[in-house]
Amino acid sequence: MPGEPLQADQALLLDDELWEQVVRASDGMASLCYQCGVCTATCPWGLVLKEPLNVRRLIRRAQLGLEVGGDALWLCTTCGLCELSCPRQVAISQVMLSLRRVAWRRRQVPRGLSRVLWDIQFDGNPWGSPPSHRSAWARGLDVPQFSATDHQVLYYVGCTVAYDRRAQRVARALVSLFRAAAVPFGILGDDEPCCGHAARDLGQLEYARHLAQQGAEIFRRAGVRTLVATSPHCYDMFSRHYPPVSDSFRPLHYTSFLAQLVEEGRLCFRPLPWRVTFHDPCYLGRRHGVVGEPRRILRAIPQLELKEMAHTGPKTLCCGGGGGRMWLETEAHARLSHLRVEEAAATGAQVLVTACPHCIACLEDSVKLRGLPLRVMDVAEVAAAALAGGEMP
Amino acid sequence: MTKPLYRPEEAQGVWVYLEHVGKELTPVSRQLLGKARELAQKKGVHLTGVLLGHEISHLVEEAWAYGADVVLWADHPALRRYVTGPYARVVADAVLSYKPDVLLLGATANGRDLAGRLAVRLRTGLTADCVDLAWEEGSGHLVGWNTGFGGGIMAAILCPYHRPQMATVRPGVFPTPQPQPRRGEEVRLPVHLQEADLQVEVEEEALVPPAGIMSAQVLVVGGRGTGGQFDPLWELARLLGGEVGATRVAVDEGWIERERQIGQTGYVVRPKLAIVCGASGAFQFTVGLQDAETIVAINIDKEAPIFEQADYCVVDDLFQVVPALVRIIKEG
Amino acid sequence: MGEMDLHIIVCLKVVPKPEEVSINPQTMTIDRARARSEINPSDMYALEMALSLKDEHGGEVSLLAMGPPFFEPYLRIAMAMGADAAFLLSDRAFAGADTLATSYVLARGIERLRPFHLVLCGEESSDGATGQVPPGIAEWLDIPQLTYVEHLEVLPHGRVRARRVIDGGYQVLTAPLPALASVKSGVNEPRFIDMDRWLWAMQEAPVTVWGLADLGLDPEMVGAKGSPTVVSRVQQVGARQRKRILITGTAEEEARTLWRFMRPLLEQRS
Repeated sequence: MPGEPLQADQALLLDDELWEQVVRASDGMASLCYQCGVCTATCPWGLVLKEPLNVRRLIRRAQLGLEVGGDALWLCTTCGLCELSCPRQVAISQVMLSLRRVAWRRRQVPRGLSRVLWDIQFDGNPWGSPPSHRSAWARGLDVPQFSATDHQVLYYVGCTVAYDRRAQRVARALVSLFRAAAVPFGILGDDEPCCGHAARDLGQLEYARHLAQQGAEIFRRAGVRTLVATSPHCYDMFSRHYPPVSDSFRPLHYTSFLAQLVEEGRLCFRPLPWRVTFHDPCYLGRRHGVVGEPRRILRAIPQLELKEMAHTGPKTLCCGGGGGRMWLETEAHARLSHLRVEEAAATGAQVLVTACPHCIACLEDSVKLRGLPLRVMDVAEVAAAALAGGEMP
Repeated sequence: MTKPLYRPEEAQGVWVYLEHVGKELTPVSRQLLGKARELAQKKGVHLTGVLLGHEISHLVEEAWAYGADVVLWADHPALRRYVTGPYARVVADAVLSYKPDVLLLGATANGRDLAGRLAVRLRTGLTADCVDLAWEEGSGHLVGWNTGFGGGIMAAILCPYHRPQMATVRPGVFPTPQPQPRRGEEVRLPVHLQEADLQVEVEEEALVPPAGIMSAQVLVVGGRGTGGQFDPLWELARLLGGEVGATRVAVDEGWIERERQIGQTGYVVRPKLAIVCGASGAFQFTVGLQDAETIVAINIDKEAPIFEQADYCVVDDLFQVVPALVRIIKEG
Repeated sequence: MGEMDLHIIVCLKVVPKPEEVSINPQTMTIDRARARSEINPSDMYALEMALSLKDEHGGEVSLLAMGPPFFEPYLRIAMAMGADAAFLLSDRAFAGADTLATSYVLARGIERLRPFHLVLCGEESSDGATGQVPPGIAEWLDIPQLTYVEHLEVLPHGRVRARRVIDGGYQVLTAPLPALASVKSGVNEPRFIDMDRWLWAMQEAPVTVWGLADLGLDPEMVGAKGSPTVVSRVQQVGARQRKRILITGTAEEEARTLWRFMRPLLEQRS
């Protein structure tokens, strides 16, 4: 069993093919590891679990060709904190995903994950929600269908934001912001393809590549140039894992786009006398270095007081929702988001602001369980509120 | 068209295939007798019940009591438990001897198992899972109404040239009639089984209540609003023959075991009826319940998102409504 | 297994997503044109059972479907999961078939795939939901049938043991092969596409199409012509939306109203 010391009489079955598969799937990255163990030390799971997630050992076992099964492999949220410290800059998350890819091949994946993949295949989203309801969030808002000739921007909503009633509020907030700044934009509506990030995170690397090819073709045919995404995960997929769409294809996270609008003076905010703190989503602050943009938006709101938490920017503390964890259960006592909301409360903030639908779900869940006097909101919701101004958050 | 084995002009009478469990007819058998009696009387024909088993003579009287004019019954050791081969043989032989106009069966596991086989053996039409039955004006053919596409479409189906006109009906579609002490006729059916009918052997058969929330047809689900008090939910579930489920919050708080968690990271369930108490209806929970046939939501907060996903909404305190419901159900 | 190479035939159907289907009131037919499709969810469980048996015993899994040409990509997806070959029975003459005509055509297709050991089907389809085709196929083929199977074991000497779910309990039966089983929904986790098979499945995997003439069938026995039942009327009953009926009153009154709605639903449990 992974994690347990081997008994003297147990014979070890080494599978050379396993290591080859991992090296191949990680584009050779996995070979660079020289087993220093800094990854294990930095992994945030060590803060909430009795035993830290032994990243080093997972890679060692794979190097030796030993079976890499068990829950440990599926704990990784791909937050990338370990990668910041790795002396050889091994793309550790990529190695994790490669190991997950091997697990699929061996049919050793946690219960329920096949269903998530089938939902992506037949419903176009990992939640199993009906494809014909994908643009229900926009009912009554008269959001136009994207047309390259009329629209400068394709607003890419994303599966979670489209279907999760809580997250839908972010989409509606963005619509009012685009309108306030007179941005010509459209959406793909029910035809919006799933970006494929969930499939990738769960280790289905080729399938995610297949989804990326399909998605890129859809964007190409529609003539998409600037794409603004709600979720940093979708943004990551489009900017790092999509084949080339066209010379003018430019994916952005919405905070980059809004920050630009703010700079150009196209968004006028009224005072919001709120005390807020900002949680950098791993896929925004750490993986893509988009740290200043969300803050520029918040700082442009008069009377808004922004206090930073201890772990900020690239050092952000993962909420626990990445790496496919939204489809896997975490015991209540071991939730990373609990730590984060305590940190937020310690700043004296009334509102914990973030910019990712998974972060919102995890953080709100922890606020409720911990009974903290905090509201969790997305940057777009705060900015949209600032269009009107107001007193209490 | 396949040639019918006998023509409508030769056909007479309404037949109901009767199932039994323990020492009694099953609820759907009684319900079918009730509806079939109404149909038979409208046409002025006899209602016949068909009964197979071993040591079942006591069921003949029950069949009369629920409306059968005639009971055709076969009693034989090979018929002790339902197995397709012998049952299909006896019923098909009886049909070809007596040539009924209509043959109705309950849409239970065994009923459907038999109906599908018989319909082909008898080269006739079968309308499955009917929600209503009637005689067509003028032609006198049987009209079976059924639904498709998850209930979105309703169709009226006829079988004009083939006999018997077969239909299956789910339990609970028709009401259970009141039994009347009546005496009718009875005929013992011959049992001539062939080698081919006896190929399947029953090793074991048991009646056990299914376990776990995955197989439960009724689920009473509790969320944060229960504050950990699951007793009223357990009572309601027991009364309804269902199971108790919970949202993630309830499990996180340690009020109930994780095996009962419903949601994206718990179990995705498809009960006939879900009664959701004190749960706001967060997305990751509702995706685990979105395929439930009917959802009842009880929550004190009128803004709770669960109400958008429910068929019946009660904005009230679950600790008032659930005990009241329990009382009313016990009253009968 | 030892003695034989297990050949399992899985009957598949491609169905429109139920919430996207509408009625064409003029032709009284189902308008599937704008509906997205999927492999009938029930059939996925049958397919998984077949693939598990293949994992255990070796052999081959063949897919059989009756439908129009657009079924083909879905059959390829099933081959990417692990099935070896697909046979599509496709002909205009097959359209409009009820369960008698459908089970007849499928049975004739299965005849052409002999020798086989097992035929596996889903318990019912999300469009017709009758569950009557599998027993019908077994009767045409004159083989034993095991319906609502939650567990299947291939035994030595050409027999199979199956556990059936029946109302209020279960039965364990044994039968000689060849036999047919309909698989209860939810009894396993259908495996996802094996991406190592993807390219082969999409480009090279064999999909054989047979029409009326290839099967040598009597046109009077297939399609609408071969169907004893006819649809005399169809109506749309409203999309699958939640009713959102608000029940008001005192707790007592609300409970009473609730019970009035709930009671008939409970009696409908099989």
